[in-house]
Amino acid sequence: MAETPALSRMGLYGFVYPVLIGFAAFFLLPMVVVVLNSLRSFEEITQSSVLGFPRSFQWRNWSEAWSGYCMAGNCTGIRPYMWNSLVMAIPATIVSTLIGAVNGYVLSLWRFRGAATLFAIITFGVFLPAQMKLVPWAITLRELDLSNTVRGLILIHIIGGISFTTLFCRNYYVNVPQDLIRAARVDGAGFFQIFRRIIVPLSPPILIVTVIWQFTNIWNEFLFGITFSEGANRPVTAALMALNANIAQAREYGIESAAVLLAAMPTLLIYIFGGKYFLRGLTAGAVK
Amino acid sequence: MLNKSLLAICVACALGLSSANVQAEPRITVISQWSAGAEGDAMNAFGHLVTKAGAKWEHNPVSGFTTEMMNKLRADIIAGKPPAASQLKGPEIQAWSQIAPTVNMDALVAAAGYEKVVSPDLARLHKVQGHWVSLPLQVYRVNTLYASKKAMDKIGATALPKTWDEFNAMAKKMAAAGITPVAHGGIAWADTMYFDLSLIGVSPDAYRRAIMNLDDKALRGPEVLAAFKQLRQMTGWMSPANAGQHWSVFIPPLMKGEYGFLMMGGWASGVLKRGKFEEGKDYLCGSTPTSVAKPVFDLNADGLIFWETKNADLQAGQKITAQVAMGKEFSRTFTQINGSIPARTDIELTDSTYQDCQRDAAATLAGAVAANQVVLSLAHNMAQSNSITAALRDVLTEFVHNNSITPEEGQKRLADAANAAR
Repeated sequence: MAETPALSRMGLYGFVYPVLIGFAAFFLLPMVVVVLNSLRSFEEITQSSVLGFPRSFQWRNWSEAWSGYCMAGNCTGIRPYMWNSLVMAIPATIVSTLIGAVNGYVLSLWRFRGAATLFAIITFGVFLPAQMKLVPWAITLRELDLSNTVRGLILIHIIGGISFTTLFCRNYYVNVPQDLIRAARVDGAGFFQIFRRIIVPLSPPILIVTVIWQFTNIWNEFLFGITFSEGANRPVTAALMALNANIAQAREYGIESAAVLLAAMPTLLIYIFGGKYFLRGLTAGAVK
Repeated sequence: MLNKSLLAICVACALGLSSANVQAEPRITVISQWSAGAEGDAMNAFGHLVTKAGAKWEHNPVSGFTTEMMNKLRADIIAGKPPAASQLKGPEIQAWSQIAPTVNMDALVAAAGYEKVVSPDLARLHKVQGHWVSLPLQVYRVNTLYASKKAMDKIGATALPKTWDEFNAMAKKMAAAGITPVAHGGIAWADTMYFDLSLIGVSPDAYRRAIMNLDDKALRGPEVLAAFKQLRQMTGWMSPANAGQHWSVFIPPLMKGEYGFLMMGGWASGVLKRGKFEEGKDYLCGSTPTSVAKPVFDLNADGLIFWETKNADLQAGQKITAQVAMGKEFSRTFTQINGSIPARTDIELTDSTYQDCQRDAAATLAGAVAANQVVLSLAHNMAQSNSITAALRDVLTEFVHNNSITPEEGQKRLADAANAAR
């Protein structure tokens, strides 16, 4: 039984949207608190509470968080650490995604003996807790002479990311008909030519998903970031932690809030722009 | 962009050359959790003193939880580049000194006459097999009681309660007047701290036997039961809505008189000072209640451990840093900034930058050392190794948040947990 369009539209506006907007508002509440706190002074928050509307809008927290706040005597704010994170996350995302795409391509369309086992082993990395990998990485980085360098962190994120990117790409390519590959081979295309001419054009949806996933994870990663970096090389997550003071301190909620919002900006942008391509890719890249 | 990187390369070359020229200049690399706020400022001041004494100061803070700093330390030790010194406290000094060689500081300590001016318990913690390998930087009195002046006025009280009975009577009055008597958050370490304070208030001697020595008879003894009873009494005066929250969240309502008491280590004084609240006018501060006559001091202290290095410049830096850390100037500077008290017991806290609460804590420490009533805080990882502390903390935090556990049952669980973890 199909409803009349008018009725279903009424249902949409009268019921579904209000409910969705209600949920959205509820989920955004913590965000609102953070935004409001980023505009309140330290004295105001300490003397009243973390929940409250700013008496006067203070932009000082934002400039402090970006370029003024002191950590270990360096009054640079989080700006240089944002740069470190970008320098780390961008190459690590690109390389791990490319490797994952090639891996997925091989494991799904160029099956060989043991492909399934190899795939299972690679995927196993998804389930390994980061803490377990700390000591092995410490030893590896020492042997490669990459201790406390950004390059070391990039390597960790590339290797660590391959499990996820391979899983995503392999499961996507497995739906590509083998006939497509056979036809291309008949036409004389080689391994990389097929990848470039046929597989990559089919891939935007999964590549976007993989990039979003990788970038967000690498950007937000903290444990390796703080363990395998030093001083000025720190990624932004480690710098944020420096703002989040210990038990002996009253927290600078204002500056913390501003810094958190600033640090979340790149992942937010990736979602906003990536989301658009994601939808376009879904409709355009379907297997014909 | 190209120009910039060229410039960077040139600068790097120049630095490389200059550092090659003055290779023997003493240098110290330090990792700590103290990066920001008053703690960060205190470390910077430490750095200035070390620089003044002739060593280059390279502080590399690993903020966040202790685990993160320990991961970093472990990674650096595995990488073969341990920091020349790192922040470490309590029994962890013993434990971590096993994983990499440390530096014997005995000669320096003897030359400074340092051992005579610190409490014996503190000295013991900083030695491994009888040798000084680390130095205490600061001491906090964990058993500090803060009372809201407004709440006290409302019930007509003028002085802090001295014993648990007095405390309970005052809390009862507050509850009747619509005040929540105890401003407690509800994070596991803070829950554990309230047990620390309950037991030392009953008997510091029983605390020493039960918690520091894990003596089963003491754990199942009447003093520990009395402490559980006092703790259960207090949990009834906490707001259950506060579970999982940081204690500092409740400072504003405490000052407004919505809460009556806060029990927290001396660092709370620093926080109150930064919030522009005044001792005497907004709040009262002193030791938590105790039924023994002489002063009791529940100790939390941070130290600096020195790791062995082959580099002559770092070795020289370690000597200079140790000498600075044992000095009186450092003791004053460091503690004035972060609200702690000096590890040295021979320092008069007369400067106006000290708060009365800090002076009171220092007097308590001196009195407790004389009376042999300094105990090490379980809540702050001073009394036991991490794994044992965690086992006991699990029991205590559950007890605080679950009113259906009786004091008898709580005591049994604590003793059993100690048995299993021992």
